[in-house]
Parts: sequence; C-alpha cells; structure tokens
Amino acid sequence: MSMIEVSNLTKDFRKTIKSPGLVGAFKSLIKPKYETFEAVKNLSFEVPKGEILGFIGANGAGKSTTIKMLTGILTPTSGYCRINDKIPQEDRQNYVKDIGVVFGQRTQLWWDLPLRETYSVLKEIYNVPDKNFYKRMDFLNEVLDLNDFITSPVRTLSLGQRMRADIAASLLHNPKVLFLDEPTIGLDVSVKDKIRHAIEQINQEEQTTIILTTHDLGDIELLCNRVFMIDHGQEVFDGTIKQLKNRFGHIREIEFELVNAEDANRLNFSQFGSAIEYSQNEKNVRVKFDSSKVSVPDVIRLTLSQVDVQDISVKDADIEDIVRRIFRKEAAEHD
Amino acid sequence: MTNFLRKYRPFVSAGIEEAIVYRANFLLFALGNTLGAFVTYFLWKAVFQSSTNSSLSGFTFPEMVLYIFLSFFTGILTSSDGSSSVGDEVKDGSIAMRILKPISFTANYFYEEIGSKLIDVGVLAVPLFGGILIYQIVGTGTPVLNLGNLLLYFFSATVAYLINFYFNICFSFTAFFFRNLWGSNVLKNALVIFMSGSLVPLAFFPPVLQNVLKVLPFSSLLYTPVMLYLGKYSMQQTISVLLLQIFWLIFFIFLAKIIWHFAIKHLSIQGG
Ligand SMILES: Nc1ncnc2c1ncn2[C@@H]1O[C@H](COP(=O)(O)OP(=O)(O)O)[C@@H](O)[C@H]1O
Ligand SMILES: [Mg+2]
Repeated sequence: MSMIEVSNLTKDFRKTIKSPGLVGAFKSLIKPKYETFEAVKNLSFEVPKGEILGFIGANGAGKSTTIKMLTGILTPTSGYCRINDKIPQEDRQNYVKDIGVVFGQRTQLWWDLPLRETYSVLKEIYNVPDKNFYKRMDFLNEVLDLNDFITSPVRTLSLGQRMRADIAASLLHNPKVLFLDEPTIGLDVSVKDKIRHAIEQINQEEQTTIILTTHDLGDIELLCNRVFMIDHGQEVFDGTIKQLKNRFGHIREIEFELVNAEDANRLNFSQFGSAIEYSQNEKNVRVKFDSSKVSVPDVIRLTLSQVDVQDISVKDADIEDIVRRIFRKEAAEHD
Repeated sequence: MTNFLRKYRPFVSAGIEEAIVYRANFLLFALGNTLGAFVTYFLWKAVFQSSTNSSLSGFTFPEMVLYIFLSFFTGILTSSDGSSSVGDEVKDGSIAMRILKPISFTANYFYEEIGSKLIDVGVLAVPLFGGILIYQIVGTGTPVLNLGNLLLYFFSATVAYLINFYFNICFSFTAFFFRNLWGSNVLKNALVIFMSGSLVPLAFFPPVLQNVLKVLPFSSLLYTPVMLYLGKYSMQQTISVLLLQIFWLIFFIFLAKIIWHFAIKHLSIQGG
C-alpha cells in the first residue's frame, strides 16, 4: 500500500480579468469576466511509505498548488489524492493529525508567543504525551540547534531560525507524512545543512514519508530517492536522479570565444544533423549537443578547423543544468 | 472532556494575554460607550420631561434608565468579534495555518474570544452592574430586584452571546466567497444595533414592525435578556421568548456548519 496516492489531480483557478480604468473596474464589479487557468493538470503518482520524493519545477510550475491539495487546504477541480488512507478534504481534523507541513514562505508559529510556548500549545493540540514530547524536543534541539532562541518571541527570529523552528514544529507530533514546500529557500549553507540533516535523520529513524519541493538541487541530490518534475502543471519526469541524468544528462554545452565575431558566419555543423545547435553573442558561440550522438572532441575539432578561437570552456552536466535546459526547451515550445 | 479542555486551554490563555496587551484600547472603547449610554440617558430624560404621561410605551422613566444601562452592559456581555479577522486571514492566506491544525475551526475562535471576554466582562461588570444594582436598590420607583429575573437574565444573555457568536461566524465565512468585495461590517453592525433594540426598545416601534422584529433573531441578541431582567414578561411570554432564543441558536449553529461545508471548497489560498 502506498502512503500517498495521487490520481489525475487537477486544479483550475478562475481569475477575474480586470479591465483598465475606473469604468473598467466598475464593469468588472457588475459583470465580472473570468478566465480559467490550469495550475495543475492531471498529475498521477504514488509514494510508498518511507520514501523522500523531490518535487521540482520552475517558478509557477504548480508545486505549491499541488502541496496545498495534498495537505487539504485546497479542493481539487478534479481527480483525488488519498494519503494515509484518508481523503484530506473529507476528514480534515482526522487527517491533519498525522501530517506535518512547512511552507517556506509563511510560518505556522504564533507570531507573539515565545517559541517554547508555541511548542507547548502544539503539544496540547496534537495531544503528545509528556514522555514523547521531551524526547522529541531533545532530538530537535540537537539537530536544529533551537536552544539559542527558544525563549524569543517568534516575530524576532531571523529567517533561518524561523525556518528551523517551523520544521521542529511540524515534527513534534511525529507525523507519518511530511510536506515541505521550499524549506531551504533563502537560507545560508550552514542552516541548509542542518535542515537537510534533520530531514534525513527523521526519515531514517521514523520511516517518515516526505514530499519536498525545492529550487535547490543540492537538496534533491542529498535527500531524494526519487524526483518528480512538473512544468506548467504537467508531469515532465518521474524517476531516480540517475535516470534523470541518463535521460537528459547527455546534453552538453561548449562555449567558444572567437578571435573575430564575423567568423561565426563560417561555422557549419550540418554534418552532425539535428543533434547539435548553436547560438552566437558577439564573439561568444555557444554550442549545445547530445553527447551520445556527437563526441566533445569532434565538436571542438570541427570548430577549430573552421574559425580562429581564443578560448574554450566545456560545461559539466549537473542536475541544475539539466533542469534549466528542460525548462528552457519547454518554454520555447510554449512560446 | 478534560482532553478537550486541555486542547483548547492554550487559546483561552492566548486570548487573555491579548486582551491584557490591548486593555488600554478596550478601556477607551468602554469609556466611549459609557459616554454614549449617558447621552442616550439625557435624551430620554428630555423626552420623558416633555411628555405629560408618566410612562411611554409601557416604560416608566426609572425603567427606561435601567433599560439604557442594562442594554449597554448586555451589549458588551454578548458582543462577539472573535471571527472578525476571518476575512483578512482568507485574503492573506494565513487561514491555511488554522485549517492545518487538528482542531475545530469554530471552537478555535470561540476559545480565543472567551479568553478576552473573561477579562473585558471582569473589568466592566463590577462598576457597571454594581451601578445598576445600586440604582435599583436606592432609586425611587425602580422595579424591585428579583432573583428569578436575575437568573433568567444571565441564562438568556448567555444564549444571546452564543447566538451572536454563531451569527458572526456565519457572516464571516461569507468572506470565503467574496474575497475581493470584502469591505466592512459597518452596515451589518448598524442593522443589528437598530433591530436588536439596543438603540430604542422594540416596544416603541409601530406594532407591525414590532411583531416582525420580535421574531427575527436580532431581538434574541439583546432585547430578550434585558426585558427579562426588567420583569416585563408573563410566565407564558418568558417561555416563548426563551424557546425562540434557543431556536435561533440551533439555527445558526447548523447554518454555520452548512456554510463552512461549502466555504471550504471555495477557499483558494494565495501565495507560497
Ligand atoms: N489562488 C490562486 N488564484 C489564482 N492563481 C493562482 C493561485 N495560486 C496559484 N496560482 C497560479 O498558479 C500557478 C502555480 O502556482 P504555484 O503552485 O504557487 O507554483 P510554484 O509553487 O511551483 O512556484 C502560478 O501561475 C500562480 O500564479
Ligand atoms: Mg511555490
């Protein structure tokens, strides 16, 4: 049995179209015009217990919208999700007992209460027995270093402190499923490190199922067994990081700096067919190609035979690059 | 039950803490209202002095004085705005954090409000209600102090508070549907003040309007407990107004549940 089961999940937003000016504002008050915007389209996937799924995609891809449906705060337009054997929208109070949620961009802590008080309130709300509570707090203190600021009111915490506090808050009741929406956004390396460590440890010790959305591919590479990539609300990839690299990692990029910009006219890569493309910006020529069909030395050799080159740089294929490239390609197709 | 109390106790104390933080605010508000009550008092005094009758629409002047101050006190006792921030929370999406906790949404607001209400009423009950009692004991021609009526009053005022709470919850849940049209509660409040009898006793309205207003839920919010205190109702009338109050309470509890059921589907949390 999967812990998380998502089937044809779709969310349309209805947006009012605002006409400009006072007359327009008046018109749209009386007879509003709507357009439908599909933020999430037909997503289906399953997550087994104990897995960490990396949910990635560019800004506006629909990651947060998906998380909101999974956590039950948004109702899908169609499709459903079943988590821990419950439909989030149907049995809210019962469902949220067993999940933890962190939204990187907003806090779930009470703004005016000292952090320690917040945890006492959460202890009562989730009905955590004393013994478990103290054990949990000790553990969280250790991995997230909360002690330095546990007596401060939440509103005085720095972003990194607040995020650590929020993650601790989401783990206090030992949830079966943890949703993290950009938990490392805007944090410095050492805080990121602590947070990654906490996530990893909780997953190993408690078999917590985790869905993590992020921009930071470091998070993904360190934590996730599996990545699920979406763009414009649609699935574009689902598999392991290795598969991701195998599938998209062949694309390489070489940048040549020419001696004379006008030499670029003499470049001709037609012998490699569609496996290669290039673009030029003044003296810089950027060549992108599929390294399973065309070899790096061949590209360099051919280029050097056609034009005078000042400098060459070969880009390594890392995930960040892959993802960016996939998105650029997608975006180009959409335009 | 103890578990239930433990779960919501933090909200009561958070409400108390908040009320203490904003107590200066509240005292100013109370002072303003007291002034309002005195203005009303002098107005009625002038009305009674210029009239040849010693009683107007069944009210003697001492009864009117009691009515004015008692309806002012009852207004504070039964006021409810624990859910007034629902609109803002819907707009900025912070309502998500309430929804993500395994607690009843309505109970959450209720206990937050109970906390601050304990403080508000505690601060005002002694001077105000004390004043009312003293006036009743030493004043001439005032209705006799009656323990039965006092108990009826407190029972009825408690029900009135609950009706008001659920009424406001229903009202605030509409913020889920009208996210952008949300203005203020001004119109609602003005209507309630007028129709609940807190400005002018309903007995002063034309009979037809009176009959309508007496069945509407608003009279249950204020007029009923105050009239019970003044002993204006016969046994039979007392039973029927109390039953009407309980009817409205049950009505709004169910209405709140129904609206919530639809509202939650309409919620679209922005940002993040
Ligand atoms: N409440 C909403 N109403 C209308 N459009 C929304 C709403 N929430 C999100 N969107 C739109 O849906 C798309 C996906 O947003 P989101 O899920 O937040 O993306 P991500 O988290 O991947 O950056 C965006 O284009 C965003 O503008
Ligand atoms: Mg997002």
